Amino acid sequence: MEIIRTMNLDKIYQDNGVPVQALKDIDLLIRTGEFLAIAGPSGSGKTTLLNLIGALDAPSGGKVLLEGEELAAKKRSELASLRLRKIGFIFQAYNLIPVLTAIENIEFKMMLLNMPEKERRARSLSIMDELGIVELADKRPNEMSGGQQQRVAVARAIVNTPPIVLADEPTANLDSITAHHLIDLMEKMNREKGITFVFSSHDHQVLEHARRVVYLRDGQIERETMK
Amino acid sequence: MLAKLAWRNIWRNKRRSLIVLAAIVVGMVVLVFSESFIAGSLKGMLDNQIGSHTSHIQIHRKGFSDNKIIQSTIPNASFVEGVLQGTPGVLRHSKRVVTYALISSASNSSGVSLVGVDPAQEQQVSKIQASVVQGSYLSGKDHEIILGKNLAERLGVALGDKVVAMASMLDGHVGSDVFRIVGLFETFSSDFDRLYVFIPTGNAQRMLGLGDQISEFAVLAQTMELVPQLDVMLERELGGSYEVLSYRELLPAIMAILDVADEAMGIYYLIIGAATIFGIVNAMLMSVFERIREFGVLMAMGMKNGKLFSMIVLEASYLGVLGMLIGMGVGLAIYLPFWKYGLDLSAFSEGLTMVGMSAVVYPILTVGAVIRMAVIIPLVAVVAALYPATKAIRLQPVRAIYYV
Repeated sequence: MEIIRTMNLDKIYQDNGVPVQALKDIDLLIRTGEFLAIAGPSGSGKTTLLNLIGALDAPSGGKVLLEGEELAAKKRSELASLRLRKIGFIFQAYNLIPVLTAIENIEFKMMLLNMPEKERRARSLSIMDELGIVELADKRPNEMSGGQQQRVAVARAIVNTPPIVLADEPTANLDSITAHHLIDLMEKMNREKGITFVFSSHDHQVLEHARRVVYLRDGQIERETMK
Repeated sequence: MLAKLAWRNIWRNKRRSLIVLAAIVVGMVVLVFSESFIAGSLKGMLDNQIGSHTSHIQIHRKGFSDNKIIQSTIPNASFVEGVLQGTPGVLRHSKRVVTYALISSASNSSGVSLVGVDPAQEQQVSKIQASVVQGSYLSGKDHEIILGKNLAERLGVALGDKVVAMASMLDGHVGSDVFRIVGLFETFSSDFDRLYVFIPTGNAQRMLGLGDQISEFAVLAQTMELVPQLDVMLERELGGSYEVLSYRELLPAIMAILDVADEAMGIYYLIIGAATIFGIVNAMLMSVFERIREFGVLMAMGMKNGKLFSMIVLEASYLGVLGMLIGMGVGLAIYLPFWKYGLDLSAFSEGLTMVGMSAVVYPILTVGAVIRMAVIIPLVAVVAALYPATKAIRLQPVRAIYYV
């Protein structure tokens, strides 16, 4: 079943008044349950593609459909709702809220979903247990290592079991061992919970874990590989 | 959790938040002191006026206040007395003869208001007896007079000296009598001391050929709050031959000062409110700009504009409420000793007596003032947050997340 489809997707930025075509004519189909990587050199359009799929940005041309719904037709508040319920994000810089503890960061999304406090806490602890980070519950981000923070970010992204998780260079700030463990974790969540993972990376060791890799160059799909 | 996040956000930059709080606290202290001092001064002025001579209500023949001639006496004093005794809310009353007179000594003379009083009744209604600083109050014997200390100085007379009072009689002739000064008084108002003299009622009635007629009833109500109601009741009961004037009508100048004072407080609030707003807007804007990436992440997670807006407004509200509470506490700590012991302004007593204020002012903080401050300052904080909050919700998620 398809979860994401892009059709003739274009994105043009203005860079000091000069138009830059970040994406050109991208046709991409992502199916439920895929563990997909988007690869390419810097400036190839990986982050731009993830932003458009994640309803964080609007295309200059073409369409993005999430579970059959066209994103461009939606209002800002509808897109926020969509992201809340259907999309998890993992960022390169972790982006945890610094004044909240690990467990509070994970609970935050469920708070936005108006979930009762007890249920929020129970689900957060459960997911932290699965990811092996229960001992971090009361720590703030500045008390955790990069790898720990990224695990908390993964927990935050998947705690409400969204259909799809988008991860933009999730291992870029991690050492190779920690990066490996993180990708293993994401694979495990993909297998056990059926969450579709789409992540961008230019690290070949990380790309090896993906079952499908879409290579971008200069804003276009150069090739795809499948395991 | 949003409240928890908002509270913690305030303390990300402790120094900045403490500076904003300090500004609010200072503003609150100024407001507490201003409100209480102005209220206390004005109450003091009003109490002085009411206590010295005006009373809560005065009753005259209709038209007396427009033309204070001796012929304008109370039509039926017994009737009025009966009504007063039967009206709930009336505490005490005193009968007076009031006329313009010329008082003369060997060396000088001065125009005054000559007031004939029953000493026993009058001391229940006014504080003149308590203001006597030399000699004694009237005992009721004929030819006694008490006058203001500064009037005595002007006339070049002292305790025990004689003065002559001269005034128009009921029949139009000029009446006069000689009086011995038995007491000198000094009230809150130098003008009052210069313009009023008191003699026994009987003496005044004989000197002016009044018989048993009087000019006015001075009435004290049980409480100040009852006065408007009493005013209406007495007018209804006494009918059209009488004028019933409350202190509000008798003291238009002071009432005008009270109204101006309200507007003055409004200006205080405006100034302090503006300073508070600018302080909070500045702090909140800096806080918003420092968190642009974080707001982008919150939007990416699915936080809608309403919640983001509320969070920022909540942060400002916390600053406003906390500053208000601390400021109120500090303000009260400063206010309470003055409330108990008074603020001694005797260095300015000459100027104060000209406007009817006592040298020692007792500030009063009313419940209304406390509520006003408690509501307005946090409200100002909320208003201050609107612009920064609006800036935050206008961020585009993708630009915010990758903001450098």
